[in-house]
Amino acid sequence: MTDVQILRRNRPGTKAKDFCRWPDEPFEEMDSTLAVPQFIQQTIRRDPANLEAILKMPEAQDEGVWKYEHLRQFCMELNGLAVRLQSECKPETCTQMTATEQWIFLCAAHKTPKECPAIDYTRHTLDGAACLLNSNKYFPSRVSIKESSVAKLGSVCRRVYRIFSHAYFHHRAIFDAFEKETHLCKRFTYFVTKYSIISKEILILPKLDDEAPITPAVGESDA
Amino acid sequence: MKIPTTMDDNSVSHHNGGQVGSQIGVSVNNKQNDEPSQNVQYSIPGILHFIQHEWARFELERSQWEVDRAEFEARIAFLQGERKGQENLKNDLVRRIKMLEYALKQERAKFHKLKYGVELQQGDVRPPPEEPAPDAEPAERAHFKQGRQLIKQYLQEIGYTDTILDVRSNRVRALLGLNNEETDNPNYRNYDKQQHDRCDYAMNHMARKYDYGGKEPRKSGVSGGGYNEEGLSVQETAAVFANFEFLANQEMDMDEIDDLDAKQSHHAVGKAGEEVDHEAEEVLNELNLLTESEADSGGQGDEYTVGASGAGVGGVSVSGGEGEEEPLALGELAQLTVSNEPEAYDVAQTNKEAFRKTWNAKYTLRSHFDGVRALAFHPTEAALVTASEDHTLKLWNLQRTVPAKKSAGLDVEPLYTFRAHTAPVLCLAMGAPRSEELYSAGLDGTIRLWNLPPPTADPYDPYDPSVQGAVLRDHTDAVWSLACAHGRLLSASADGTARLWAPRAARPLLATLRPEAAPAAPAPAPAAADFAEAGARAAVVYRDGSLIIYDLETGQVVLRVGCDSAATRVRSHPTLGVAVTAHEDRHIRFWDVASGRLAHAMVAHLDAVTGLALDPNGLFLLSGSHDCSVRLWNLDTKTCVQEITAHRKKFDESIFDVAFHPVRPYIASAGADGLAKVFV
Ligand SMILES: [Zn+2]
Ligand SMILES: [Zn+2]
Repeated sequence: MTDVQILRRNRPGTKAKDFCRWPDEPFEEMDSTLAVPQFIQQTIRRDPANLEAILKMPEAQDEGVWKYEHLRQFCMELNGLAVRLQSECKPETCTQMTATEQWIFLCAAHKTPKECPAIDYTRHTLDGAACLLNSNKYFPSRVSIKESSVAKLGSVCRRVYRIFSHAYFHHRAIFDAFEKETHLCKRFTYFVTKYSIISKEILILPKLDDEAPITPAVGESDA
Repeated sequence: MKIPTTMDDNSVSHHNGGQVGSQIGVSVNNKQNDEPSQNVQYSIPGILHFIQHEWARFELERSQWEVDRAEFEARIAFLQGERKGQENLKNDLVRRIKMLEYALKQERAKFHKLKYGVELQQGDVRPPPEEPAPDAEPAERAHFKQGRQLIKQYLQEIGYTDTILDVRSNRVRALLGLNNEETDNPNYRNYDKQQHDRCDYAMNHMARKYDYGGKEPRKSGVSGGGYNEEGLSVQETAAVFANFEFLANQEMDMDEIDDLDAKQSHHAVGKAGEEVDHEAEEVLNELNLLTESEADSGGQGDEYTVGASGAGVGGVSVSGGEGEEEPLALGELAQLTVSNEPEAYDVAQTNKEAFRKTWNAKYTLRSHFDGVRALAFHPTEAALVTASEDHTLKLWNLQRTVPAKKSAGLDVEPLYTFRAHTAPVLCLAMGAPRSEELYSAGLDGTIRLWNLPPPTADPYDPYDPSVQGAVLRDHTDAVWSLACAHGRLLSASADGTARLWAPRAARPLLATLRPEAAPAAPAPAPAAADFAEAGARAAVVYRDGSLIIYDLETGQVVLRVGCDSAATRVRSHPTLGVAVTAHEDRHIRFWDVASGRLAHAMVAHLDAVTGLALDPNGLFLLSGSHDCSVRLWNLDTKTCVQEITAHRKKFDESIFDVAFHPVRPYIASAGADGLAKVFV
């Protein structure tokens, strides 16, 4: 209609390369209730490797919402890793959810925690996270979040991290290809460290930038 | 944010009034009315259409009424339960009043005796059976005793509330498995009974307390301890029950379980005791949270109240069904719409008083992490599939719901998450006639076949790779539209082509449809496609505003019409030879696909029209727009029957898709806010 006004839309028929290719909108000008996810996605699109920029919280932003929306984004992007794992991580070969041989993780998505195969653990954890993070009870609003609900993010983060670590230790090629494209694990590690969401001992993956050989960690604890 | 648009709208509507007048493609109906004679010309097709029309309407209404009836019955049961509870409460209050009265009379008697030294002759001074008889004592002491008596009674009153809390806390404890007193596993349906039981229990308990009279030390406040602060009221307790199942699932999910997860953890044993405490603490937090959310849920639930009816689903919206008056929110739309009043046969007459059904939001489907681009209902079941920019599809069964507290809506959790796309999923088609087939396509250029899991699937079942079917990879760019009919699939892609598929065949690609444009000019990108003329043709709309009808036998262009505004959607009318197109210039256009004539055009929304759906009988049209609203149109009169504000904006997008259930009275909308909503 009007040429002056930029409409940030993906119209039917848009080519893949033009999808979401619109000028950035300053955060202050976003008046939507979904301003935070908009802003996060916009920053990621600009450069997925720039963790500093992606995780720089705008001033006067509610930190709970900021963390919540980032976690939503992580879980969403993790679907990509799950898709890749589906082709290789079979219940016959990865019968349990493990990273190093130290721990077997039980899947908490069931009434009583269950020893799900890794692929099921991955899917169930992501589905469970989708349910929790979209729960009308815990997260009825996306503009303000109760402190008690923010506390729920920690357990989601810990489980989600296990998906990264399983991929890293058992499906390295997939992990590397995915990481190269998305920088998601690096971003996630940065995120949970920056906001002290999960304790450092749990972060068992070696620093991803230096290609250090995998040292089997001893005496780690799953606090 | 809203105000400027509204003003804009007014000007639009006036403009539209004039514009449409000139655009009404003179239909047969109008011609007949132009004739001076008032005699109505009955024709066989007319009569047939009328009968069909009526029948479909009755069917729709009937199923609607059945749904309503079931709802009302549930409501009645609930209210009856509540009434019982209230009666018990009332009886108790009456008893307490009597006791107070008695105490007062005693007091008066004492006073009288002290003053005049004579017994006061009072009407019926009968102590309640459990009261100890007042004994004669020296004046001062008697006075003191009376005071004590009074205080005791007051305390008992307070004690009553404490008792209730006590009972409740026991109840809650039982529910949460913290003690073994009551091991039944209540669910929502038992609620009435439970409340009743609880009241009875409370009454008994209280009676006992009165029996004890002064002997019993007051300790209920203590035993109620931790729970009293939370001030659980009856409703809140009810909410605890309602949420119990969810609680059970979610609470297992608590942090501490993690420690137990790790089987080889040597800490586990040592920490066990502590963990139980943690868990209890969590449960208490849970309750706190619950109470809080109860408190604010009232306002929150109203947020999306359906504009037209004003009556919530739970709010016994009888008036909506009766339909004495026009729905409220139609103000501006009344001007916006065109009424094609004159009608050849009496349909118009009947329509006027009939079909005032208002759709109300019932289910909110929340589980996607990003905008929901498309949705498709199951051909027969009360189920649907949504496709999202979060790269996944989800299957929902509307009959497996979690009752959501006081708000009218129901929360539904997805049954299954389809993961295979590596980019946003943009479109969906439910298999026809094979109902267990589903197709999806998206920005990654692939079209994927899925074998729909049964509606009884559990979201936490083991992964079954056979859900994933074949993948059609011929498109070289984003696929924006899918349609399925007679076992064939039609797709439209940003690569400039529309394609016809036999998805299960060895060589699935049947035809590639592209307009024979001048070789120099880049081919316009198709935005959407639909089958037409019982599957013999395809209607494809393009970004340049054109509508092209292809013969699917030959792959040749049969008809080419167009307008200036980019098209977003196309739907073929199920019985008439009409293609309906949605456009970015806020218009919906109706084309006669035989002649190519623009039969009708209307400004339908305040912003680009993005979703279109026709009901299976071809009587109603549903449209969605980036103006955040869903509108329902009567196709005979081309008037808007209802407007629903359904979704919020993300960037400048709001609603992506709308749908009618093929056989059940459901409609749905999908939005950029990551939600899908189902209305009944
Ligand atoms: Zn694996
Ligand atoms: Zn599991």
